[in-house]
Amino acid sequence: MKKTIAIVEDERAIRDNYAAAFSREGYAVRGYPNRREAMAAFTARLPDLAVIDISLEDEPEGGFELCRELRGLSPELPIIFLTARDSELDAVSGLRLGADDFLTKDLSLAHLIARVNALFRRVDALRRPTEEKQVIRRGALTLDSERMSVEWNGQVVLLSLTEFWIVYALTKHPGHVKNRQQLMDAANVVLDDNTITSHIKRIRRKFQVVDEKFDAVHTVYGMGYRWVE
Amino acid sequence: MGRILDLIRIGPISGFRLRTKLLLLALTTLALPWAGCQYAREMEHVLRESEMQSLLAVTTTIAGSLKGRQELLFRADSLEAVSSNNARDITPVVLSGAPLIDGRADEWDTDARNLIRVSGPGGDSMQLLAATHERWLYLALLVRDNKVIYDASMLAPLDSASIGDRIWLAFDDKRGGQSQLFFGSTGGGTLRARRIETREYGREEAVEEPRINAVWQRSREGYVLEIGIPLSLLGQHIGVLIDDRDRRGAARSSYGTLEVSDLRATGRLIAASPDLNDHLRQFAQPGVELTVASSTGAILTRIDAPALPADYTRMRGFLPRMYRLFLDGDAISRVMSQANRQRAAESLTTRVARGKPETAQFPGRYENSVIVAAAAPIYSADGKTVFGVIQLAQTADRWLTLRDTALTRLLNLTLFVTLFAVVAAFWFAGRMTLRISRLGAASETALGREGNLSRVLPEADARDELGDLSRSFSSLLGRLDEYTGYLRTLAGKLAHEIRTPLTIIRSSLENLESEGDSANAKVYISRAREGSERLGAILTAMGAATRVEEAIAHSDRQRFDLAALVRAAAGAYGDAFPARRFVAQVPDEAVEMTGAPDLIVQMLDKLVDNAVDFSADGATISVVLRAEPAHVELSVANPGPLLPPETGNRLFESLWQSRVESDKRPHFGLGLYIVRLIAEFHGGIARAENLADNSGAIFTVRLNR
Repeated sequence: MKKTIAIVEDERAIRDNYAAAFSREGYAVRGYPNRREAMAAFTARLPDLAVIDISLEDEPEGGFELCRELRGLSPELPIIFLTARDSELDAVSGLRLGADDFLTKDLSLAHLIARVNALFRRVDALRRPTEEKQVIRRGALTLDSERMSVEWNGQVVLLSLTEFWIVYALTKHPGHVKNRQQLMDAANVVLDDNTITSHIKRIRRKFQVVDEKFDAVHTVYGMGYRWVE
Repeated sequence: MGRILDLIRIGPISGFRLRTKLLLLALTTLALPWAGCQYAREMEHVLRESEMQSLLAVTTTIAGSLKGRQELLFRADSLEAVSSNNARDITPVVLSGAPLIDGRADEWDTDARNLIRVSGPGGDSMQLLAATHERWLYLALLVRDNKVIYDASMLAPLDSASIGDRIWLAFDDKRGGQSQLFFGSTGGGTLRARRIETREYGREEAVEEPRINAVWQRSREGYVLEIGIPLSLLGQHIGVLIDDRDRRGAARSSYGTLEVSDLRATGRLIAASPDLNDHLRQFAQPGVELTVASSTGAILTRIDAPALPADYTRMRGFLPRMYRLFLDGDAISRVMSQANRQRAAESLTTRVARGKPETAQFPGRYENSVIVAAAAPIYSADGKTVFGVIQLAQTADRWLTLRDTALTRLLNLTLFVTLFAVVAAFWFAGRMTLRISRLGAASETALGREGNLSRVLPEADARDELGDLSRSFSSLLGRLDEYTGYLRTLAGKLAHEIRTPLTIIRSSLENLESEGDSANAKVYISRAREGSERLGAILTAMGAATRVEEAIAHSDRQRFDLAALVRAAAGAYGDAFPARRFVAQVPDEAVEMTGAPDLIVQMLDKLVDNAVDFSADGATISVVLRAEPAHVELSVANPGPLLPPETGNRLFESLWQSRVESDKRPHFGLGLYIVRLIAEFHGGIARAENLADNSGAIFTVRLNR
C-alpha cells in the first residue's frame, strides 16, 4: 500500500510541486492549505508522514499548533517542518513540539525526498528487531543508524533527523575533524555556518540533558568539529 | 554687494562665539550710566539756570528798592559829584571784620586801587589805605620818612619850636562845615586827633577830638598811622596831609591829598552810607553775597560773603572721583584765583552799569565749586542814569552736591546693574553654549553610531526653543532610526519574502527536470536552476546579518583561550586560502577571555575574508593578537588598496561597501557589519585604518576580556 504524505502548505504552487515530486516517488499525497482543513482530514484518517509549513494563511504560527494537535493524535507520526523562516526561535519551538525535522524551503526536492525516505525507513526499522550490525558503539554512545536513534549511557537522546545525521557523520570516524560543509552534506542540507553552529550547540545541549558532563563534540576553530571519545 | 548681503544675512558679529556676543550685548548697558550722566548734567544745568533766574529776580527787586537812593550809596543828595573822577578820591575797601587799630595795616586786604600814593620831597612818600566796616571808616597811612621827628611835648602842641612830623586829616561834614584835625606823636602809641580852636583874644588851643581813634607806630621805613573815624562825622570829602620836618620847629614840607594852602579836602570819599547796609540786610540771605558798587565799579559795600555750606562735602573714594573725572569736562570746573574772580565780578558790574541786568557764573573758591551771580543796575530817580550796580552772588555748590550725590548713586546703581547684566549674560551664554554643545555632542554621537540610535537627547524637557530643537532632533533621529532599522532589516526581510517564490521556481524546475525528456529543455532547465541557486546564495548572504543578530541574542558567554583559538584558526586559513600566506603573531601564553568563541571565529572569518578579497594572490595576511590586562586587540592586516578617504567607521555599517570590482559571490557589505556586531557583543569596537606605510589596510578589533 502506498504511504500517504500530508502536505500542509498555504502556497498552492509549492504544495503542488511538492505533491508532484512525492507522487513521482510513489507516495500518495494529500495537500491542505490551512490548519482547519488539515486537522479535519487528520481526525478522519492519519497520514503516514506530515510536511507542515509553519505559517499558514492567516495564522503566522499555525504550523506549531497543528503539530501539537497531530502529536496528540499520534505520538509516532513523523513530522517535518518546512518554512521560509530559518530563524533559530522557530527551530527551537518546532523541535520542542516533537517535530522530527526542521527544514527551510530552499532545501532541494531531492534532499527533501531523501529525508522523507529516511523517516519512513526509521518507522519501518522501529517495527523490526534491532540489527546489531547497524549499531555503532563509541564508549557511552550507542547509535542505531537504521532506527536513527541515539543512546548515551543507555539513555535515549531525542535528536532530529538533521541532528542525527550530523552526529552520525561525526561518530563514523571519531577524532577526525569534519568541517561545516562535510556536516551539511551528511545532513542533506544547505545551511549557513550559523545554522551548523546552532545545530552543534543543540546537539550538545541534548546530550547534556542525559549527562551533564557530556563533552564529546569538540570545536576545532576555523576548521570544524570532531567527536572525541 | 555680495559681502553686504552676507553681512546682513549672518550679522556683523557672527564670527564670535555666542558667549562673546552676549557679553558685548551686555556691555551696551554701559550706555545707561552715560545717559544718567547726561541727565544729571542737564538737571544740574536747569537747576543752576533757575537759581540764576531767581537770583536775578531778587537782584532786580533790590535794585528797584534802591532806585533814586543815591544818599544811601554815596551819602550825597546830588548826582553830579558822583560822576567826576579825581585822583584824590578815596575808595575804601569793604572789610568783613573790623580791623584792630594798632598801627599795623597788615590785616587789611591791600589792593592797588584802594591805595593812594603821594610822593613827598627827598624820597619820602605816603601810602593811604582806606577801608570801611559797618559805621566806621578806617585809614592807614604808611609813611616813608627817612627822619622821623616826634613832638617834644604833649603839653605844648602848638609851640612851633617843639613841633615834629604832623599829619593833618581834613573832611567836610554833612552840613558843609570843614573839620581839620592833626596828629602829632611824642613817641608812638595811641593818640588823639586834635583840632585847633581859636578862643577869645585869639588864643589858640588844641582840642582833642574823642570820637576819632588813632595809633601811631614806627615802622622800618618810617611810621604808620592807623585811624578809625565814625562815618557819621563824614561828609563828601576827606583828605590827609603830611607836614614833614627834618627837626623840631623846622620849616615843614607838606604833601598829601589836602590843599596845602588852606587844608581843604577835595578828594571825595566814595563810601556808602551805613544806612545802606541796614537797607540791604533786609534782603540778606545766608550764603548770598550782596555787593553794591558804583557805576564805575568801585565797591561801596558788601555784606555776607558767601559761606561754604556745611552740607557740601565732596564724595570721597575711588568711584566718585572716577565719576567726576567722567563728568566734569567743562570750563567751570577750574579753580579761579581770588583776583580773577574779582575781575570777573567787576567785568559783570561794568557790563550791567550800561543798564541791563545780567547773570554770570564763574568758578568758586574750591575745586569744582561754581559761583552764580546776578547783577542789576540801580537807576536814579528819573530812571535815566545808572549810578550803581547791585550784585548778588551765591555758590552753586548745593546743586553740585546734589548732582554728585545723585550721580554717585545712579552710577553705582548702573555699574552694579551692568555688572549684574554682564555676569547674567555670561552665565546665560555659558549655560546656553553648554546646552547647545551638549545637544550637539549628543546628536553627533547619536548620528555617529548608526547601529543603535539613542533617541533620548538632553534638553528634551526644556520648554524653550532649545527644547524644541532637541525634540525635533529627537524626532528626526527617531525617524532616522526607523529608517536605518528598516534598511538594516530590509535585506533579511527581502530574503525571507523572496524565498517563497524562489522555492516555487526551484521546486518547479526540479519537477521539470525529473519529468522532462527533451535534451534542449534540460539545458534550459539546468540554466534556470543555476540562476535560482545563485539567487538562493544571494538570499542566504542577505539574511546573514539577521542570523548573526539572532545568534548573538542566543549566545552564551564562556571562558576560553583566545590565543589557542586564533592560532588554530590562522592555521586553518592557510588551508582554506592556499593562494595567501598567513602570518599569526599570537602570545605564547594563554589569553583567557570571556565571550562566545564561535562568534569570535566567525568575526575572524569575516575579517580574513575581507583581507583575502582585497589582496592579490601570494600576498601575506598577518593576524595579530595583543593581550592587555583589560582587553585584547585582534587585528588582520593585508597589503592591497588603501581605504577610501573619509569612510571612517562607515565601513562597519550595514549595507556599506566600497568595493568596485564585481566577483561571483554576492556582497552586501554585511561582513564588516557582522564584525562590528560581534565586537560590540564583546564590549569592544572595530576600526579600520591604512597601514602606516600605506601598503594596505588593517582592521583592528578591541575586545574586553
